[in-house]
Amino acid sequence: MKDRQQGEFRIESESDIVSARKIIRNAAVCLGFGLTDVTRIVTAASELTRNIYVHARSGVMRWRTVNNGPDVGLEVTFEDRGPGIPDLAKAMEVGFSTGSGLGMGLPGSKRLTDEMTISSEVGKGTTVVVRKWLKS
Amino acid sequence: MKRQTKTTSKSKATVLGSEDSFRMLVESVTDYAIVMLDPEGHVVSWNPGAERIKGYTQNEIVGKHFSCFYPPEAVQRGVPEQELKAAVKDGRFEDEGLRVRKDGTQFWANVVISVLRDQKGNVRGFAKVTRDLTERKQAEERIQQQSREIMELSTPVMQVWQGVVVAPLIGSLDSERTQQFMERLLDRIVETNSPVALVDIMGVPTVDTQTAQHLIETVSAVRLLGAQVVLTGVRPAIAQTLVHLGIDLSGIITRSSLSAGLLVAFEVLNLQVVSKIASR
Amino acid sequence: MSAESISVIKLRGLLLVTVPADPDDTTVLALQEKVLEAMVQHESTGLVLDISTVQTLDSFFARTVVETVQMVSIMGGRTVLAGMRASVAVTVTQLGLSMGNALTALDVGRAIELLNAEASKELRV
Repeated sequence: MKDRQQGEFRIESESDIVSARKIIRNAAVCLGFGLTDVTRIVTAASELTRNIYVHARSGVMRWRTVNNGPDVGLEVTFEDRGPGIPDLAKAMEVGFSTGSGLGMGLPGSKRLTDEMTISSEVGKGTTVVVRKWLKS
Repeated sequence: MKRQTKTTSKSKATVLGSEDSFRMLVESVTDYAIVMLDPEGHVVSWNPGAERIKGYTQNEIVGKHFSCFYPPEAVQRGVPEQELKAAVKDGRFEDEGLRVRKDGTQFWANVVISVLRDQKGNVRGFAKVTRDLTERKQAEERIQQQSREIMELSTPVMQVWQGVVVAPLIGSLDSERTQQFMERLLDRIVETNSPVALVDIMGVPTVDTQTAQHLIETVSAVRLLGAQVVLTGVRPAIAQTLVHLGIDLSGIITRSSLSAGLLVAFEVLNLQVVSKIASR
Repeated sequence: MSAESISVIKLRGLLLVTVPADPDDTTVLALQEKVLEAMVQHESTGLVLDISTVQTLDSFFARTVVETVQMVSIMGGRTVLAGMRASVAVTVTQLGLSMGNALTALDVGRAIELLNAEASKELRV
């Protein structure tokens, strides 16, 4: 049985983005994800951690193993007390691409993971939770 | 009244006799863990099957609470107590779930908990029968592994020449299969260092939106690697679907047949097919 | 990851830069700076970005590459991204990232061939 993964990491500086990537890479590899899935979730984590740093200056990333019957997965939460997202629907529009420098990579991160939940309140902050399940 | 006492002593004798036989029966079973719990859930009796499946010896486990057989999150959520309650309510409770051995390893188990009542109807304890489903799970995993292998065999990516890989797709493509194909194609291109990938879809009857999306993604991803896709065997029906989906095929080299595609590959690689028969 | 560890190699009119495995933002920006300095210094006609060890390519990296490609282009050069990993290609595509007008090649060798071929094409025109 693979080790349970769990932890918390504060995002406070730009170098924390790459540290977050390493942490999630390690967790995903330990859980037994294949290379492509590891890359997917690490990239999503990079985008979401960057969002915290760019929009809120600081926040926290939490991760843990999740179970759904026999299925095993990795859940990562990105939480900040930043400005919040005023138009969530717009932010999730696929055309809102990060390639052009706009947007927050939310639709892309959703594509890279199996589940994504966002809750955000203007002036209060944003919480994004993503999950990736091990393919049996 | 007298008759009842007679019956009672008779059944008592019968019960004593059957208790010995019962113990013999339980002690001889090694495939199932047959465990008796007191009304609160502590282990009262243990059989060789339980030792084999869960790892604890009788001395180690008698008196301990049966929640130690459950994974920590289940204990936190109060699952063991809920199962006992259900057994009391319905007479029995059956479940398949993860359990924990003495060494900490988890295994998939089928568990039946039956409530034991005395003649007055009071709860005297529980009988818990556990079966280790690891073997069954392994068989299921083998089947899944074989389906994956079949999927791979049916979407091979073959190197036919230095620098050219060919992937003939056959059968209906669902989202899952197309995604796996994309990953495999990209891996093979890198492995074989092939600038050209011929993807033949003559054998694909229809394509839905998601699959078409994945095919387009595949073409983009191949470009990022530094290679290119030549799509061959695009049937009219599929061409129609792609056009209706608004998919722009203008950036992709397409040919009607695999052999025509091969000629394109040779062009890209600056190769030429020359006949052995010298022409004058 | 120290920015000083990035080396820019000059190869007969071309520049070759090997990108480290998991560069942080500062390194990525330092890379861009070094590339542009070298382009000016050597008047190179092409840039090869070796990304064969890069494990994660996120939007920041992609944006910086696109900018670099544009800047190199303004200075009269072309850029080739060499050796992208299969897993990275899948992720970049699914994330919807654009790599701009960068050319791509399976490895550094082919990247150099490509730039030379492009250069001779332009000469003929």
